[in-house]
Amino acid sequence: MIQDQVRVTHRWNLITTLCALVAVCVASAASDRLHAQDLPRLEQQAMQAAVARVAPSIVRIETVGGLERIGKVLLGTGPTTGLIVSADGYIISSAFNFAQKPSSILVGLSDGTRTPAKLVATDHQRMLVLLKIHVEENLPVPEAVPENEMQVGQWSIAVGRTFEGGQPNMSAGIVSGLNRIWGKAIQTDAKVSPANYGGPLVDIRGRVLGVLVPLSPQATNDLAGVEWYDSGIGFAVPLAHINSVLPRLKEGTDLKPGILGVSFNGNDLYGKQPIIASCRPNSPAYKAGLKAGDRIAEIDGQVTDRQAQLRQAINRRYAGDTLKVVVMRDKERIERDIALVDQLEPFHRPFLGILPKRDTPADPAGVVVRFIYPESPAAKAGLLPGDRITSVDGKAVANLAALVESANAWDLDQPVKLEADRAGEKLTLEIKPVAEVSAVPGELPAVDPVTAPAGERPQVGRIDAKLPEFKNECIAYVPDSYNPQASYGLVVWLHPPGGTKEEELLARWKEACDKHRLILLAPRSADPAKWLPPEVDFIAKAIAQIRETYNIDAQRVVIVGYQGGGSLAFAVAFAHRDVVHGVAAIDAPILGKPPENEPVHRLAFFITTAKKANFADQIKGGIEGLKQMKYSVTTRDQGDAARQLNDEEFAELVRWIDSLDKI
Amino acid sequence: MQTLLKCFLTARPKIIPFRLLAMMATLAFCLVANSNSATASLRQVIAQTQPKIVKIYGAGGFQGLEAYQSGMLISAEGHVLTVWSYVLDTDEILVVLDDGRKFKAKLMGADPRSELAVLKIEADDLAHFDLPAAVQAESGARVLAFSNLFGVATGDEPASVQHGHVAVKSQLEARRGVFDTTYKGAVYILDAMTNNPGAAGGALTNGEGQLLGMLGKELKNSLNNTWVNYAIPVDQITKTVDDIRTGKFVRQTADELEKKPEKALNLELLGMVLVPDVLERTPPFVDAVRADSPAAAAGLRADDLVLFVNDRLVQSCKAMISELEFIDRIDPVKITVIRDQDLVDVNLSAPAEKK
Repeated sequence: MIQDQVRVTHRWNLITTLCALVAVCVASAASDRLHAQDLPRLEQQAMQAAVARVAPSIVRIETVGGLERIGKVLLGTGPTTGLIVSADGYIISSAFNFAQKPSSILVGLSDGTRTPAKLVATDHQRMLVLLKIHVEENLPVPEAVPENEMQVGQWSIAVGRTFEGGQPNMSAGIVSGLNRIWGKAIQTDAKVSPANYGGPLVDIRGRVLGVLVPLSPQATNDLAGVEWYDSGIGFAVPLAHINSVLPRLKEGTDLKPGILGVSFNGNDLYGKQPIIASCRPNSPAYKAGLKAGDRIAEIDGQVTDRQAQLRQAINRRYAGDTLKVVVMRDKERIERDIALVDQLEPFHRPFLGILPKRDTPADPAGVVVRFIYPESPAAKAGLLPGDRITSVDGKAVANLAALVESANAWDLDQPVKLEADRAGEKLTLEIKPVAEVSAVPGELPAVDPVTAPAGERPQVGRIDAKLPEFKNECIAYVPDSYNPQASYGLVVWLHPPGGTKEEELLARWKEACDKHRLILLAPRSADPAKWLPPEVDFIAKAIAQIRETYNIDAQRVVIVGYQGGGSLAFAVAFAHRDVVHGVAAIDAPILGKPPENEPVHRLAFFITTAKKANFADQIKGGIEGLKQMKYSVTTRDQGDAARQLNDEEFAELVRWIDSLDKI
Repeated sequence: MQTLLKCFLTARPKIIPFRLLAMMATLAFCLVANSNSATASLRQVIAQTQPKIVKIYGAGGFQGLEAYQSGMLISAEGHVLTVWSYVLDTDEILVVLDDGRKFKAKLMGADPRSELAVLKIEADDLAHFDLPAAVQAESGARVLAFSNLFGVATGDEPASVQHGHVAVKSQLEARRGVFDTTYKGAVYILDAMTNNPGAAGGALTNGEGQLLGMLGKELKNSLNNTWVNYAIPVDQITKTVDDIRTGKFVRQTADELEKKPEKALNLELLGMVLVPDVLERTPPFVDAVRADSPAAAAGLRADDLVLFVNDRLVQSCKAMISELEFIDRIDPVKITVIRDQDLVDVNLSAPAEKK
């Protein structure tokens, strides 16, 4: 009995324990089930709540008047989005929305009321605009997420207000990256497009991460980055940053990218240390006393081991901002506070009057003079063809590349000290550079002939070339005597509308190619009737392929074009100035906006004019513009009617190509 | 949990009734199974929905026109809802089910206005959507899109599934010429790239697999040159589908939708002169107002910039003139102008026509 009693008690205890256990398990099972099954629903509710929270601060923007298209991009006229950033009526939006320069702007608030707005200021660095509307009551200002709280992988919801009915439109994604586009933007995989440019990217709590804008790592115009719309890569400028520059924008100050005024050699942003190749005269760097050869070690305390880090540090700053720059000059550490500017004085390329010999042996070191420009500083100083330049300003010059590199940093007012060897005799000369001349010498010494090597070499003669990813075809001509030991100039011929007959083309160029060591590349437009701007890409790739196969002198890659082909030649050169160093445009107006003239990426022009040319005024205007930017522009007047080059003009063109590497 | 169970078993091995043990075991199983139930239910939803989607093959196949599209079963006996398109413009419409069965389909009817068509195949006991049971979704709702985009599924391969959210519930209509479609009603705008070649006619469901709408065609928004991904809500088309199924449907052509009146309003009648239309998009500034005209009476002035005509935004002189062409001259018109940064509304009517 007692036993039983105990047993019962035991059992009772057991049941109690079990019940408790079951209760715990059931509870945990229930919460687990709740957790798992309701997660999607809870997430959805959270997103909807986030959008609802920010919605009152999102406005719809409509514009009237303005341009229909910019370049090849047809501009939308649809409504776009803006975000209220201060209660007294300031609204931030994407500059994309105003690229068409509208004559009137209307802002529709979340309650549907429409109010006229004024454009107060533009941030050209981050492609934003600030608008102002008149308000009677305070507007709701959204909360910004502090930049240090943002994390890759967190929810991000892109919100616009552009669809009929005026309800906010949302797209969900996550933060894909931070500090993108040289430290300027948050990256998201939410769908970002004209449907929400100017609207906020919000977190799951409805706080604003940033303002959606199209951005591109390369281009900087109003429309750059639009081609990536809805593609899983979108950008937003952090609202925290916008708030920090808001006072400046409210004053009506346009914010522009800041420029330091230094150039570097090479295009290897990630491999190379930022050693200054040249300081532009009168630039902030120049005024602060920075010199070619200095290595920029820190910007605002941030170490800059690579050119890319330097670019990241500078590209996020505005003109007017002051940087603390540390440079190393040999072992010496130099610190300077440097204020950035928005524009540099145009660069005037220094010129001594020397045409160097190419492909000279490495030993003896130095640069052999091929030709001296009459009346040039070099001629006046007594330098002669055949002299071998061995040092500049006390530094040995190993080869032509080294001389070009040091020439990039010369000042127009500062004499250059040259040492040269004349048949074993050592000369020391001081020569003051002048601004580059554009006249082409009447006669040049012949290019040293070469003979075909015995061994293997790439295909020569007339060649068919095709790039797999393009419809376009190309032909090329490589001299039969091609020798990979010698470097060749590359002439890219862009035909006029309707094309050029192959026989005519080869008849024109074959002899010049053979005599002057040139390779001819003649791409064809996909539509024989005209070139289209996207074909710029194809031409650049065709050039790259030729450069891979043959020994091309980087200094003498030129594009020659007639009419439409000439216009496209400008566009190719402007987009690929690291590759193209000369444009010869025959009866063709400029296409595109010329980049600034600068030391490292040399670019020269040969342009024909004619009184009765179809685009006589545009051609003239283009020449003026290039000259103002201090480019070397060689002009050739064809008299009344425009036409293809005659023999004499063609000979001048070939001499121009042959003298592009003058110093 | 496991540790607890273990202690229990070692401590009191003899006195655990079998039933309790079984209970514990079930409980343990429940816990394990539960941790994965969200994905499991998504898998179930997709598995249950895919058989309701069909692949449709018809005319096309040249000049960049695909010869296929998607559709959904809406009855057990083989009614198929899809979009009206050139693909159906043939006597040989082929419907391929999820299990690979092929049927020649009959076109029961089509409504170009709502861009839908109903096909019929001879089959029974088919998994299908029940249109009256369709639900609605709000902005931000998670959705699944089922379609045979790019014709990637063939034979017995099931349709593709994409996921996304309702970006917003809106109208396609907006302004004239914005969308190249005859459908002008409500739509779900989606934040996923759902409207691809071949996807039109597919189904949009919520996360539970309940039908929300039918995926539309590829459509470009001419206002901002972007592609729009959208679906037509079921409630917008249920009646038309029923009418087609019951043979009551009377076909309307798209042209009947928006007719210009025979005698339309124009600037001359209102007494307004706009600035010379010299640009591609000249802002519609008032150049002059004729004395004794409706415009003068309403107080319009030179240099007013017209923004809206009957609340429709007019962004250029051309747009203003063409907007008036849609207004009958006997109807009053509301014009909104901007003057010294203020919006001013005026109502005016053309003078009565002289007989």
